[in-house]
Amino acid sequence: MNPVSVVAAVARTAAPENLHPALWRAHQLARTRTAVLDSGFAALDAELPGGGWPRQVLTELLLSHPGVGEMRLLAPALAGIAAGAAGSAHNIMLFDPPAPLCAWALGQLGVETQSLIVVHGRDGAQGARHLLPSADLLWALEQALKSGQVGAVLAWLPARLRADALRRLQLAAQAHDGPAFLLRDIDVRLKPSPAPLRLVLHSAGIDTLSVRVLKRRGPALAQPLRLALPPVLSPVLRARAEATRALAQVMQGRARHPAPAPL
Amino acid sequence: MPAVLWIALHPPVLSLQAFAATLGTAQHALPLALLDAHRIQAVNRVALQLGVKPGLKRATSLALAPQLLFGQADAARDAQALRALAHAALAFTPSVTLDGDESGGLPCVLLEVRSSLRYFGGLAPLLQRLQATLAPLGLRVRTASAPTALGAALLARWRSGFEQGLHSGNLRALQGQIDTVPLALLGAARAQAGALTGMGVHTLGDLRGLPRDGLARRCGEALLDELDRARGDRPDPREWLTPAPTFEAQLELFERTDNTAPLLHAAAILLARLVAWASAQHARVGGFVLAMQHEKRHRAGPQAPARTELPVALAEPSNDAAHLQTLLYERLARLVLPAPTLALHLRCAQLVHRAAPNGELFPTQASAQEGLLRLIERLQARLGPERVCRPLRMQDHRPERATAWQPALLATPHADAPPNGPTLTRPVWLLSDEQPLGERASHPLLDGRPLQLLAGPERIETGWWDGALAVRDYFIAQAHDGALVWIYRARLPLSAAAGEGWFLQGRFG
Repeated sequence: MNPVSVVAAVARTAAPENLHPALWRAHQLARTRTAVLDSGFAALDAELPGGGWPRQVLTELLLSHPGVGEMRLLAPALAGIAAGAAGSAHNIMLFDPPAPLCAWALGQLGVETQSLIVVHGRDGAQGARHLLPSADLLWALEQALKSGQVGAVLAWLPARLRADALRRLQLAAQAHDGPAFLLRDIDVRLKPSPAPLRLVLHSAGIDTLSVRVLKRRGPALAQPLRLALPPVLSPVLRARAEATRALAQVMQGRARHPAPAPL
Repeated sequence: MPAVLWIALHPPVLSLQAFAATLGTAQHALPLALLDAHRIQAVNRVALQLGVKPGLKRATSLALAPQLLFGQADAARDAQALRALAHAALAFTPSVTLDGDESGGLPCVLLEVRSSLRYFGGLAPLLQRLQATLAPLGLRVRTASAPTALGAALLARWRSGFEQGLHSGNLRALQGQIDTVPLALLGAARAQAGALTGMGVHTLGDLRGLPRDGLARRCGEALLDELDRARGDRPDPREWLTPAPTFEAQLELFERTDNTAPLLHAAAILLARLVAWASAQHARVGGFVLAMQHEKRHRAGPQAPARTELPVALAEPSNDAAHLQTLLYERLARLVLPAPTLALHLRCAQLVHRAAPNGELFPTQASAQEGLLRLIERLQARLGPERVCRPLRMQDHRPERATAWQPALLATPHADAPPNGPTLTRPVWLLSDEQPLGERASHPLLDGRPLQLLAGPERIETGWWDGALAVRDYFIAQAHDGALVWIYRARLPLSAAAGEGWFLQGRFG
């Protein structure tokens, strides 16, 4: 073996990313020790460490109001869990969803209703946006994460949540062999969180979702991702709506800058 | 090999431990004494070190140890604790009998285990299993084994323990050991112990050396009869114990309590007895009722109930005391007691006789299902069954009726597959009460911004037969931020309450 290749080999093994799975360089995406869950969106998978939704940790999704497309974003992964992608646990637990769910819509998204369990906190009224989490809900969430018997956990938590509560949930999530999504208000994006993956979701037009990566184990992502969600509108309707919108914008622009009168 | 083998379980400090079960954990380090007719009947180790001995008067003992905690001796309480011991033993053999309780002094549970030895793999593993089963009952137990019932009882009362058990395999060895047993341990001899000691008879061997006919005339046939049965010279038929069809146990607390921690401590002992009773019948508990007796004086008002009943029903019958305890803890933590509690009463009539579930070496589908069931059960115990539920698809066009909710533990009927078209026709989020929308130039507004109608109308006109008539035109619209919503226009102003105009029905989440 010539000395140059020996040096190269030593340099390769001494590279931090080869020493330990928890190490990576700042320009690289982290690798995960556990298998990840396919999110169903290739563009998103490419930007997530490990190539999918992480397991055994919390994932925060921040949105301005429910209904921007968050359920359609999660639906492929949830459908996979309900079909047995995450091992023996098929169940999906939803904690304090912001509004009643429509079983038909979930069925159309491929999430079977037999695998869904919805848990309401005791004083959290359905649909009301409450500021403080109920202690019962946090307890139930921790129990579900700790039990390790649930395939996926989705929790809608209020903005004002103590840091130690989140930390506790993050510790409990280590026993949970599946993704754990916390859906919270966009106002908390400036507050620190122990969740290793935080995404900001915005609606970006018809059946399109813009995903900004707020925090991940890897380099910062400058541009938000645009994902095509499972469609509500047929392509024809969608084209027509976009044409209408473009027309309206043109009309608006014309009203603001009236064309010079022909001579 | 003799045809029978008896194991005797003797709790040496039964009354004291049965009393200590009613105390909180804080009082366990204190010197305790049990009073019977103003004389001390039993003391614990701490009291013994202070010089308090059984037989002293109350005042004398108080002079010796002013901090002494007194309890009343209660034969019924002792009998309940002993019965729990017998129930635990019934899990090992159907031939269990009680001994010595009528004479008062030295209670014993006797098990005939010859036919069970092969199943448990010999005497030593059986004793080990027995010890593990008895541990949750919180009683110190001495064991001995012998070919005769009374022989085993004598050996257990004499000196024995799990560590240095006196286990006599054959009759000849037993007879040799019995000869050295002190006289006072034989039930029938206790009455005449003083007279016999005066005659120089100290052990059963001395007693056997006396002429039989003279002894029979002087002390009665019963003494000789018992000695012969212990030595195996005379048959000793026994009546086997059968557990009661329903479980009832009561525990009077030492002091009234109004928080749940002491209640839970006491309930744990009752639950351990319940599990022993259930395992005696090789069945599992399907549910139980814990009743709390309240103090009259401290009740909030005359209409306040004298007792609070807390029924606990299990989705999957269980024999796991720890699981029952967690469920009870969640229920107790939610409960507001109307008055301090004096006594606990545990009742169980729901016993499930079914083959026990298989143990699993590796996690499987079945064990995961059971773990999930337990999780749901725990959540429901704390939050209430209506707060942990599953959605169900109903065949109805009205969106507010198309999804039904049922408690998560009920089996879900298999639903038909939904129409799997290329597009989503229903929003994921359905608002529970439709939000009326503003209107400008016959265009609906959401948050003051006009909505752009993209698809529709989808006309839903149904429900005239059940009084919830819906006559609506549904549209898919886009809000100003690009999110899609589902709105409808009520077509007919049918009633003032329903109103007319535009309503927000759901959001395509």
